[in-house]
Amino acid sequence: MSGRASSRVRQGKILVEMAMRNLVASRVRTLVVGGIVALGVVVVVLGSSLLDSIDAGMTRSIQGSLGGHIQLYNAKSRDPLALYGGTMGESVLEPIEDFAKLKSAALAVPGVKQVVPMGIDQAMVSMGNVFDVALERLRADVRRRQEQGAPAEDPDYEAHKAHLRRMATLLQQELRQAREIADETSGVYKDRKADFDALEQAVQGGFWDRFDEDPLGSLEFLENRVAPLSLDGGFTFIRYVGTDPEAFQKAFPGAQVVEGTAIPPGQRGVLLGKLYAEEWLKLRAARRLDKIKEARELHGRKISKDEELQRWVKENTGQTRDILLQLDPVRTREAVRRLQEALRSRETDPARLVAVLLDTDDANFDERYRIFYDRLAPLLQLYSVKVGDTITIKAPSRSGYVNSVNVPVHGFVEFRGLERSALAGMMSVMDVHSWRDLYGYLTPERAAEIRKLKERAGATSIAREDAEAALFGGGGDAAAPTAAPQAIDESKLLGTMGARQMRDELFQRRYGQAETDQGVALNAAVILEDPRRIAETMPRLVEAARQAGIEVKAMTWLEASGIVGQSMRLLRMVLYLAVLIIFAVALVIINNAMVMATLQRVKEIGTMRAIGAQRRFVLVLVVVEVVTTGLVFGGLGAGLGILLVHVVGWTGGIAATNDTMYFLFSGPALIPRLGTASLLSSVAIVFAVSILSALYPAVLAMRVTPIEAMQSDE
Amino acid sequence: MPEPIVEARDVAKVYQLGKTEVHALRHVDLVVERGEFLSIAGPSGSGKTTLLNLIGGVDVPTSGTVWVDGEDTSKLTERALTRLRLDHIGFIFQTFNLVAVLTVFQNVEFPLLLQGRMTSEERRRRVNELLESVGLADHSRHRPSELSGGQRQRVAVARALVARPPLVLADEPTANLDSKTGGTIIDLMREMNLRDGTTFIFSTHDPKVMAHASAIVRLEDGRVVGREALQGAEA
Repeated sequence: MSGRASSRVRQGKILVEMAMRNLVASRVRTLVVGGIVALGVVVVVLGSSLLDSIDAGMTRSIQGSLGGHIQLYNAKSRDPLALYGGTMGESVLEPIEDFAKLKSAALAVPGVKQVVPMGIDQAMVSMGNVFDVALERLRADVRRRQEQGAPAEDPDYEAHKAHLRRMATLLQQELRQAREIADETSGVYKDRKADFDALEQAVQGGFWDRFDEDPLGSLEFLENRVAPLSLDGGFTFIRYVGTDPEAFQKAFPGAQVVEGTAIPPGQRGVLLGKLYAEEWLKLRAARRLDKIKEARELHGRKISKDEELQRWVKENTGQTRDILLQLDPVRTREAVRRLQEALRSRETDPARLVAVLLDTDDANFDERYRIFYDRLAPLLQLYSVKVGDTITIKAPSRSGYVNSVNVPVHGFVEFRGLERSALAGMMSVMDVHSWRDLYGYLTPERAAEIRKLKERAGATSIAREDAEAALFGGGGDAAAPTAAPQAIDESKLLGTMGARQMRDELFQRRYGQAETDQGVALNAAVILEDPRRIAETMPRLVEAARQAGIEVKAMTWLEASGIVGQSMRLLRMVLYLAVLIIFAVALVIINNAMVMATLQRVKEIGTMRAIGAQRRFVLVLVVVEVVTTGLVFGGLGAGLGILLVHVVGWTGGIAATNDTMYFLFSGPALIPRLGTASLLSSVAIVFAVSILSALYPAVLAMRVTPIEAMQSDE
Repeated sequence: MPEPIVEARDVAKVYQLGKTEVHALRHVDLVVERGEFLSIAGPSGSGKTTLLNLIGGVDVPTSGTVWVDGEDTSKLTERALTRLRLDHIGFIFQTFNLVAVLTVFQNVEFPLLLQGRMTSEERRRRVNELLESVGLADHSRHRPSELSGGQRQRVAVARALVARPPLVLADEPTANLDSKTGGTIIDLMREMNLRDGTTFIFSTHDPKVMAHASAIVRLEDGRVVGREALQGAEA
């Protein structure tokens, strides 16, 4: 009994020994086959480690910044929820009318830690321009002089007037250049003739001499006729999520306030997306310098060899007006002094100095970049919006009218891991009350507020539609007289002098948790105690909501992340495809090599069969040869893969050289982490591939008859 | 009288070669007694190899019956035939047919390993004993490629005898050797035949080799045309 078993063992020993020797005897074949296997395993180990890290990073980024674990939204919605926007723009969702009800129903489901209201939308935000800023300053002076009397010496007032005059001059110079190019007989020219005349007037000394006689009228002229000629400013788009800021901060640790402060609990406010601010709110020359710096440092691009960089430099030297307009005469003098010193130049024209500063090449870029940020930037406002400002956001409401709200900017927010994603990093965070105002959904609380406002303004009654109609152009015009008593709404009131305290009152107001929860939301992010329970909790949430009378659909964070999440799936598919191809090739090559080997050894196999080796012996011999090759070289490949993973880690990971990579890596570099799953799957794949590729040659070997041994060599 | 080691009754073997039928053997009757040192002689194409293949159980007859050590080969399964070859027959090939990657020792040991009945110590003693008797005790660690043709064939003889089979078949064992070396191989086989009583059947067309046999069976065109016992060669 044991004799039989031990004979198997002994047979096995000679079999393995023969297999090994066969492998050694045909070294080249073994190395080729093994090399392919090893390469495949390296790709599996390294690729899946990279993907796992990307996956883990993106999961952390998305879950921690906006996605949560599960998203709930109204089941009647036409579109599926897409947190980062769908391919066809913002998804249209039906509102969840009473978020508080959904929240309490969801919180009753076991394992649910937090439920955060959300409403994502895009809107226009009016930026104003540098002219507006200067005008606002002068207007404050005029108001002060009217209220407190005009002092004999008023240097601020004079400086602000000089600044505006300088701006007009700069604007005129710029337009004059355009005019020289333009055809004087064209219709466009005639249309603009009035503009040029207005500008001419604003530059003349006479206009400024008479300014004090009618300061308000003069301001109005500047504001209506001259400021619009300045081409910058206007509107940009902003994408925001309206939410309960306190709950949001707790649920999404990935959302970090990088400047300013969080929105105080229960208060109104907005945190602007840092990337959004960089892209849209930053002084363009500074932004371009940043981009050139990044291109040079991260991608090794050269200004001398790169057309895009050359274009940026050209735009910077050609468009110095943005910078010059910001500088009042005092600051202009200071800027000239600093630039003369830093650039060792005797040039006195500020425009020329700034142009020289920005005319960068590969040799001087780093120095110029430093001069710009160290010397010039402190005199400038780099971002058109800063912490403490109030921005006006206009969005089409549900009924089609444009709603407008003023929101104080508390700070800038960055989503960790998604800082550079054009899709995800643009997001701003807004308090849910402002969001509801923009969304245009009348809550009982809001109705009561409007009633109170109407009493103060002396209004009687008003239909909701009329109120919204009155919103057109609301806000901004502080010089206008008090609003007409018939058509009043909060936003309109905010725009009036009399409503200034109302606005402050609104900004100071603290909303209770109940007020925040009671009202409309578009979707709800659900945070679980245990992220692994997503699948089982989803139907429970839907059921709990149904029992509370709310029909919702549930989505995983990944589904809700839309294109962002799909890029992950795509990457994984690409890797699988690559692995599949490599191993399909390996399979064919190993198969061919072993068929050749079998054919070469027909006589030897026939001899073994004649001497008394059973068919199975021959079959196992071939399989052992292939599987051994697979496992040995697969092991080598795995070792090499593990080593590579560590080497990549030790050398600081794979640097993200563009924004897409930055986004995928959830940060500036990807440090791959070895997963047991990737190791096990590579072993399994190698095993399966070797067995499969050994099958045909093994059957071929098995069919060799002992007669083959009898044939002479010829 | 013990049963003959080999008995063939009215054996025919027909090969299909394209559309033509090749009658390799027709109506062959043959009895080989234990302890014989039998030579099968005949020109090439006379059916020597075919007859040896049928006796060796590597092929089965188209008609007729072959008994080897009492077993009807046509009634055995592939497995049982292989087992028969392993336990009852030793093979010596014209082209030596050693396993290239194994050493001399391992080549000789191979049938014992397949049988799996002996301990490694028993195997070592048996293999060394045989290598001694074929004069290759010093070469046990060599690979076949390091040996001369004569040496290789000695290894093959040792391999054929190591499991002590009652019957050894050799198909033209000297054809690839010079006549002197071939002579020593035949002497070696004869020595073993005389010492252990192992039956040898070998094919040859070399009269000098035939001369060593105890009996000669002559084949022509697939038929046995005569059987003669040689004087003074009987054990």
